[in-house]
Amino acid sequence: MTPAELIQIQPPLVALLLLLGAAAKAVDRTGGGGPVSLLPDVLQRPAAVATALLEAVLAVALLVAAAPVGAAAGWAAAALFAASAALLAVVRRRDPKMSCGCFGGLSTEPVGWRTIARAAVLAVAAVGAAVAGGSGLQALVGLTGAQAVVGAAELGVLAALSPELREAALRTLGRESCAVRRVPVRRTLSRLRTSDVWRANQVVVDGTEPVDVWRHGCWRLMRFTGRRNGRPVDAVFAVELRGRRPRVRAAVSDAETMVTLAVLGEVAEEGGAPLPRTTGGAPQATGTVVPTVPPAAPAPAQGAGEDGEDPEDGEDRGGPRVPRARAGAQASGTSAGISGGNGAGASRASSSDR
Amino acid sequence: MSVDVQERRRFTAALLGENAAPPPSDPSPQVVRGVALHITAHMLTVATLKGEERFLFERTTSFWRGRDVGPEDVRVGDDVLVRCGGGGRWVVDRLWAQLGRVTGTIVSADGGTVVVDPGHGRPRAAAVIPYRSSGRMAVRHPVLEPGYLFDAVGVREGGTVHTTVPVTTQPPHPAVRTARRPPARRVPEAQSGIVTWYDPAFGRAAHTDPRAHAAGAAYPALDPGSDCGPACDRSDPCLPLPLLSLGATVAVRNDDTGVGGVFPVLNCASAASRFCDRCREGSGGAGGRLAELTLPAFTALGGRPEAGCFTATMEAG
Repeated sequence: MTPAELIQIQPPLVALLLLLGAAAKAVDRTGGGGPVSLLPDVLQRPAAVATALLEAVLAVALLVAAAPVGAAAGWAAAALFAASAALLAVVRRRDPKMSCGCFGGLSTEPVGWRTIARAAVLAVAAVGAAVAGGSGLQALVGLTGAQAVVGAAELGVLAALSPELREAALRTLGRESCAVRRVPVRRTLSRLRTSDVWRANQVVVDGTEPVDVWRHGCWRLMRFTGRRNGRPVDAVFAVELRGRRPRVRAAVSDAETMVTLAVLGEVAEEGGAPLPRTTGGAPQATGTVVPTVPPAAPAPAQGAGEDGEDPEDGEDRGGPRVPRARAGAQASGTSAGISGGNGAGASRASSSDR
Repeated sequence: MSVDVQERRRFTAALLGENAAPPPSDPSPQVVRGVALHITAHMLTVATLKGEERFLFERTTSFWRGRDVGPEDVRVGDDVLVRCGGGGRWVVDRLWAQLGRVTGTIVSADGGTVVVDPGHGRPRAAAVIPYRSSGRMAVRHPVLEPGYLFDAVGVREGGTVHTTVPVTTQPPHPAVRTARRPPARRVPEAQSGIVTWYDPAFGRAAHTDPRAHAAGAAYPALDPGSDCGPACDRSDPCLPLPLLSLGATVAVRNDDTGVGGVFPVLNCASAASRFCDRCREGSGGAGGRLAELTLPAFTALGGRPEAGCFTATMEAG
């Protein structure tokens, strides 16, 4: 296959990149970044919109029009990419933290040499599209194996030069760490209400709406008021913000004496001594658990017991470290509950770590 | 929905472990804030929350009131911040008078006066740029137009802050054009960045307002689902800070002095979330603001309020 035939793949390739750039810019509300940041403020948004429109028009022309219109679109695209490469170098020198804006909101990384090199590669490809002569659709209809290989190799080079791909993958797959991910309170509430921990301790809780909700990295905590043995209590649930079956923990505290009656399935002796406290006054878990099902096997080692992890979720365990005794109790599947009646009557899991 | 921040920390520690919500450090006895009642070349009387307290000066004691001054330049009625030396609460190491700071997004600028929006929950602040500091300010803040960021320290006078030192170099674009933070797949347990200060009492009634004495932090990544609320106007900080709520505690260590402490989150640091800067006088190269500490907390960690920031390492969540 001659070079003239191989070059026929350039119009659809350049058109694809132009269309992607135009679409990403169109949905980006900030409209900033890249060469348009060199313009006065009032002109930046109009310039971003105009650039997106120009890219869309050039892409359509490259796809549907043969020479001379298609060739003219190719030369215009080459000029656009060459100018972008030069201006990106200026932007990089002027504001090293500025993003390139090439793919709208997906371009969050500062302008780097990869971005500038990509614009240069695209400028060369656009020259190829200009001299190819045929339209992009014609090239796609008559695509040969050699052209497909060249096109795939070129796309690979462009992908390697595109930091936006990683960002798009992270956003699409929701792989951002749970510690920084925004999660609606309603979703957390529904996850809580479908958990065993909630059902086991619902009898303690008055009402269905929490009186306080707060966030702690990968966890959201919810406080409900309730009664236990006729005394007012606070029932607090912690729901992990990852996976469809998140870990849920619960604690019940006497609302008047502030004694923590039960933590992570531990049930304090009724009328017994309060839990030990730290110098800051926080209750410390005693490590005592009331099991209702004897563990059939030794508790797995910590780590294996970091349990319940969403198999799709390979991210770091961003949550707080759990003391070994507690983690072991969870991992063993020990079933202990916060009883609505006598503390010794624990019957259900109050820590769900599936 | 009621918010009891102390209860929040107690419950968080109960459910997630003491490491997740360590108890706050005790306030440093060596940092005192109040109103100057009487000042001589050798002694200072200050009205504080505890009543009248007296402090001694020695030859090495230094004074700041917009610039390094002598004790005679500190006036009766001034809001003073005192850091004592020698491990006690008697001898003044350094004294700052009428400290003020304006941080946020410029709303309007007229001549030498700039009105700044510090973000939700705080009133707009006016900064006056006097002629003597206009050169310094112009170098670091060349664009005094609405939408651009502003951060300067100065002397509080009659409801405005007369700026003396720019804390940061203004980004060359409006705040809304700041690039979004790339998605964070991992959030490090300890993060490096810079810590600045803020004054929740706005320089008023430093002898009676408990906010002037609180040792706490404003955090730039409050959870929008709970505490930040519908009026929340913070941005996503350029550092991947874990989302927290009021009542959480953060452990902050000054990388320059090595002094650290644990502080409760008291406010939203909406303005800090828009900055992605480095500390001009800091030793580290880390960029991005981790938190704003109250003046007593900032000073207790060895920070110099007139510099506005120090490089720090923070553990949160």
